[in-house]
Amino acid sequence: MLIEVQGVTKTFVSRGGEQVVALAETTLDVQQGEFLTLIGPSGCGKSTLLRMLAGLVEPTSGRIVWQGTAPARGSEVGFVFQEPVLLPWLSVLDNVRFPLDTFGVDRRAGDEAARQTLELVGLKDFARALPKELSGGMKQRAAIARALVYKPRLVLMDEPFSALDLLTRDRMNDELLAIRAEVGATIVFVTHSVEEAAYLSDRVAVMSARPGQIRTIHTIDLPAPRGEAVKDLPAFHAWLSQLRRDLR
Amino acid sequence: MRHIFFLAAFLVLWSLALVVFQVPAYLVPSPQQLLAKAWFLLTRADLLTHTAVTLLEILLGYAIGCLVGMAAALLFHRAPLVEDILSPLIVFIQTAPKIAIAPLLLLWLGLDMTPKVVLVAIVTFFPVMSAMLSALRSMPEHLDVLARTLRMSTLQRIWRIELPQSLPLLFSGLKVGATLAVTAAVIGELMGTRAGLGYLLALGQETADTQLVLVSVLVLSLLGYLVYLAILALERRLLRWHDSATP
Ligand SMILES: Nc1ncnc2c1ncn2[C@@H]1O[C@H](COP(=O)(O)OP(=O)(O)O)[C@@H](O)[C@H]1O
Ligand SMILES: [Mg+2]
Repeated sequence: MLIEVQGVTKTFVSRGGEQVVALAETTLDVQQGEFLTLIGPSGCGKSTLLRMLAGLVEPTSGRIVWQGTAPARGSEVGFVFQEPVLLPWLSVLDNVRFPLDTFGVDRRAGDEAARQTLELVGLKDFARALPKELSGGMKQRAAIARALVYKPRLVLMDEPFSALDLLTRDRMNDELLAIRAEVGATIVFVTHSVEEAAYLSDRVAVMSARPGQIRTIHTIDLPAPRGEAVKDLPAFHAWLSQLRRDLR
Repeated sequence: MRHIFFLAAFLVLWSLALVVFQVPAYLVPSPQQLLAKAWFLLTRADLLTHTAVTLLEILLGYAIGCLVGMAAALLFHRAPLVEDILSPLIVFIQTAPKIAIAPLLLLWLGLDMTPKVVLVAIVTFFPVMSAMLSALRSMPEHLDVLARTLRMSTLQRIWRIELPQSLPLLFSGLKVGATLAVTAAVIGELMGTRAGLGYLLALGQETADTQLVLVSVLVLSLLGYLVYLAILALERRLLRWHDSATP
């Protein structure tokens, strides 16, 4: 086990003073090395849960307990956002090396690690390019490389592919599986898409809105390694129907 | 190339107009007379020294105004309370006509370069500060989340995210500041000085030396133009990554 989410809730107080329950009491564990997906209608608290896992937002009540030491440094959690957040004034290589520079890793070692990670996400030839010269999918790959470059214990991905067209999205899903097989990171992933959830995940937590809460957690028993062929299996389609039912 | 053609045409028209309308030379000199005067001032008088004095006032005051303006924006962005406390003073200094502040500064700070440098810094400060502040206030939220995810220190944030992110807007403030800076230096000098192009202007006026005044004005606009070009060049260099950048 990597993280235990113990009875965590989050209530925001709006400007007008009313309270918004973003997340009702939630208990969940994140296993070491697993691919866990959160799926649910918008506004059910997925991003809030992710931010609490990243330590960006404090729970209103409950605790988030890390196995071993809690992440005091920034290098324990990688975050990939819906929009690829690249720094437009830095080259792709410099963007990927950015966290390492921040942590004080020396330039030579940083460049080496950044190049390796760029190769992993298939952007080796674009190291010197500026973000504005990349397509949406390539930008998101660069953002993923930046989240992986310092080998964080936990990678959080908040609807990372939802801004991409369907074809690109399918390709990115396969690339994400390949990357994950290579680095073996623990991933908590948020999506709206049942296909994406069933295809990528070891486990899927289905959430419901108002109040935001985890309704059920499924272990997706599809064969590994996943690939296009999995999408033809009856079991895959059974999972899609199951998840759709849960979301209704 | 086109510029040179227009300049030549302008000079020819100027010379012709003087002949056609029979303008006396003490009111408007011909281009040749002006050139001769400029050459004389350059070689026999201290035109270069006076220019250097004014340029130094501009550069020093501009640098101080820019640095203080940027620092103030970074401070106000983090501590809105400080901005609330200081804003009446800042608005007062900003809205008071600079010509009215100049004598005050001269009374307090003497006749040498200091009051001019301060005046230049004051007029530069405001556009730079407000451009930087609006850049910081329009910073995308996701950059903040990135910085917090990486647990960046305040200094790292400022240096590695906020400054570069602010550059495109900041440069609009830097350009406005530059044009104001040249004007402020001259205003300061006209109020009283022993050196500088403003001194030459005043001297030319007192001695009814139109040529001296004109040469001073030309050198001043040349200075302003060069400062502006330098900022453009810097912008082009630093903002290659930005959409507005010329390729
Ligand atoms: N910083 C905040 N302040 C106030 N309300 C918030 C804030 N963040 C999220 N919320 C509210 O909490 C609820 C859950 O938001 P979020 O976690 O973003 O949902 P999701 O990511 O599942 O769409 C929403 O109703 C949202 O309006
Ligand atoms: Mg969300």
